[in-house]
Amino acid sequence: MIMRLYSATVYLFLYVPIGIIVLFSFNSGRHASDFEGLSLKWYGKALDNPFVLESLNTSLIIALSAACLSSLMGTGAALALQRVRGPLKTLFDSLIYISIMIPGIVIGIATLVALVTVFDLLNPMLATLWPEGVKPPKLRLGLASVIAAHTLFTMSLVIVLVRARIAGMDRSLIEASEDLYATPLRTFIQITLPQLFPAILAGFLLSFTFSFDDFIISFFVAGSNTTLPIYVFSSIRRGITPEVNAIGTIVLAVSLTLLIFAQVLLQRRDKR
Amino acid sequence: MSKDYKDNAPITAKKFMEEFRRYQKGSVSRRHFMGVTGLGTAMAVMGSAMPGLMSSPAHASGDLGDRLIFSTWPNYHNPANMENFTGDTGVNIQINAFGSNEEMLAKLQAGATGWDVFVPTNYTISNYVELDLIQELDLSRLPNHDPSSQSPMFSNPATVDGKVYAVLKNWGHTGIAYNSAKLSKAPTSWKDFFDMTMGEGSGHTIVHDYQLTTIGGALCALGYSFNSVDAGELAKAEKLLIDSKPHLFAITSDYQPGMRSGDAWMTICWNGDGLQLNNDIPEIKYTLATDGGEIWSDFYCIPKDAEHVDAAYAFINYLLDPKVQVLEFESHGYATGDSRVDALLPPETAENEILFPAAELMNGLEFGAAATLTDPLRAEVIARFKSA
Amino acid sequence: MANENNRSGLLTGALLAPATAWFLIMLIMPLIVVAIFSFGERSPVGGYVASFTFDQYANLPSRFAAFRNTLTFAPFGTLASLLIAYPLAYFLAVKVSARWKLLLLVLVIVPFWTSLLIRTYAWIFILGGKGIPAMLAFIGIDDVRLINTPFAVMVGIIYGYLPLMVFPIYVSLDKLDKRLLEASSDLGGTPFRSFLQITLPLSMPGMATGCMLVFILLMGEFLIPAFLGGGKIFFVGNALVDLFLQSRNWPFGSAVAIMLVIVMLITVTLYMRLTVGKSTGRDESLM
Repeated sequence: MIMRLYSATVYLFLYVPIGIIVLFSFNSGRHASDFEGLSLKWYGKALDNPFVLESLNTSLIIALSAACLSSLMGTGAALALQRVRGPLKTLFDSLIYISIMIPGIVIGIATLVALVTVFDLLNPMLATLWPEGVKPPKLRLGLASVIAAHTLFTMSLVIVLVRARIAGMDRSLIEASEDLYATPLRTFIQITLPQLFPAILAGFLLSFTFSFDDFIISFFVAGSNTTLPIYVFSSIRRGITPEVNAIGTIVLAVSLTLLIFAQVLLQRRDKR
Repeated sequence: MSKDYKDNAPITAKKFMEEFRRYQKGSVSRRHFMGVTGLGTAMAVMGSAMPGLMSSPAHASGDLGDRLIFSTWPNYHNPANMENFTGDTGVNIQINAFGSNEEMLAKLQAGATGWDVFVPTNYTISNYVELDLIQELDLSRLPNHDPSSQSPMFSNPATVDGKVYAVLKNWGHTGIAYNSAKLSKAPTSWKDFFDMTMGEGSGHTIVHDYQLTTIGGALCALGYSFNSVDAGELAKAEKLLIDSKPHLFAITSDYQPGMRSGDAWMTICWNGDGLQLNNDIPEIKYTLATDGGEIWSDFYCIPKDAEHVDAAYAFINYLLDPKVQVLEFESHGYATGDSRVDALLPPETAENEILFPAAELMNGLEFGAAATLTDPLRAEVIARFKSA
Repeated sequence: MANENNRSGLLTGALLAPATAWFLIMLIMPLIVVAIFSFGERSPVGGYVASFTFDQYANLPSRFAAFRNTLTFAPFGTLASLLIAYPLAYFLAVKVSARWKLLLLVLVIVPFWTSLLIRTYAWIFILGGKGIPAMLAFIGIDDVRLINTPFAVMVGIIYGYLPLMVFPIYVSLDKLDKRLLEASSDLGGTPFRSFLQITLPLSMPGMATGCMLVFILLMGEFLIPAFLGGGKIFFVGNALVDLFLQSRNWPFGSAVAIMLVIVMLITVTLYMRLTVGKSTGRDESLM
């Protein structure tokens, strides 16, 4: 009972600020701080604003790419690392360790500084290599640099989660499967993967969430691209209007809808 | 640098202030003041030129693209104008707000900003030209721009080595806004400002996240020049700032929300924001300090690597339309230095003390100096103050 | 046999290759460049000029307060998040029926899907003059200032990172075999004893992961102090943003970044020694 009450309080703490965001998104006034009446006009403005949609799109592309890349590469690396011993294992352990430990802001700055320096070196070389009259490609900061920088952290996150799961995995099933002369691939698909799946899913979700929500790395390495957090940051800085609240509410509503949809699907499958 | 502007000006700052004082005292008419100071030279021309000027659409055809990225300052535009421009041209505007010129410069130096138009202050333009970060402007693409209607004192920084890189947006001054309902007395100087910050205003004062005004205010409070780059003077200013830091409410250039919510009682303030605050909340007053401060002018510029140059010209041209400028003024409260606009404003505007404070106060003001933008010591003093 | 070894070696190599490339290009190379920059000089207009000087490191004491703030808020913020998150994670993993589990769990992470920026901004309203202080004034408690105080920053930290703490603890508790708890109570253990002897040790890896994640993110935090600290409470992250985006002092910024990495290496290694080493030891002994 106390547990329930406590949990309810925590949920309240989590959702009161969100309630305020949603409430003020219906504000008809221009200032976000004074509630002047109910209106949907800020939703119209937000949805009419190509920069909002574009930044949302950019954020989704980045987050999906980073989450997919890191789930694939991270799971692969975690599985491979099971078989690696000796100094190589120590080396990888420390690389994972360092990439998780280094704060996002340092990754952002280091990536910015390094890429700007490398691009300054490479661009003139590219220009000389390219045939006369054809405009040489110019390397610059953009979506790829954000995805790459996000993936560094999220991949290591996936490796850690999947390895923890491997460590806690019931090995007797794998041994049984091997005793029954199942091929390694079959054992992997039928035994290992299902057991790892929760960790991979958790890793994917965490990666997506981290990447979608990240402001600081993108702020440094996105070049002229605008992600949703960058858009929101500059909106807040120029004096927040309820448009920002409307954007937040839309994102929230979409994630909730997806959530309910997934829940319904899962329950249906369970019934069958 | 700022000295040069004054020397080149057909009317010097001193002369301007003298005329201004006479005007304030009522010994000359507004028309005389406008005429003599260059604020109103084009007034006569305007009658005939206006119809054409006024009705000129922002751009005739729809080949401007669909976007424009615009970097400016907080509370500096009329949202209705932005919407009208988008409605007329199909060009959507993304606004980024910045709290200091240094921040804009840092962004531009790091490259790939994507900006098409931005709003730098007088003292930075020569630096931008030197760093090759802004384009020379093709004034033929800005038919609404009329140099003769502008006060040269404010518009001169736009020209570097005989080339025009910028057009004047607004001018104003940096003073103090305070909430008279919360404070027992009115601060009249930067010395008062810092004394009261550490006294009855403790916990309720805002200073800018901007080296020029925040260090400048502290320097003035100590009796030094607003623009000083002298190591000893800066060290004393830094000490004053760090001593007052525990008493501050915030360090931010977007001080309106804090003042409006009543959390903050006193702030370093640009006059237009002072006017906006005073209009909405009469107990918030704006005053210039008796011991100095800044007079400034802001400009529109196009960065070197702007991607939507056509839209940028159309947008600047639109904003230079006197009618549009009037709407801008009504929203942000900054004088334009453009006589065509002044002619359209209600006469009582010229008597507004927040726009045009007493001349003896204006006399003490300095234009920001180009050296402060790149001075490593000033950059480090403000950074140390913030991270103290 | 040798053939099979070769094949599995190739597979291992292929699985590790992308991760290796990533580490080299996105981690090692940038860190080397930053390290090189940290020995350079600021050019007069800002940016970097090649040089070899220790001036930047000599100037580090000027950012002492930022390091002190970070090293205070990060551990205490982590601890506070842990204390608040643990009971919730336990509730979700052990007490909630499977039917509601997923929903409630995802409800924890949903706030994460509205931008941290917007959620932090909501706290500006709540803690600002027209929020809680106005309510307090209504019941007669005047002149309470919450916004732009260390308290506000702390609330923002807990709010921002609670979901990150709940998730890994939940994952480790979810693995808990409930039969163990039943066995323990069958053997006459009190619930509290079962918790101490079974649940808590089992959840150690999750706690360690959660704490590490939150701690690391806090060490590089920028937004929360910037928004809820009024630009007055500077973390190292704020000092870094300031150096790169205002003062344009790339070499000094690089030195501060290197210093932050060193501080992180020391604190996290210490922390791992203290917690993870112990918990895996327990883990093994349980098996």
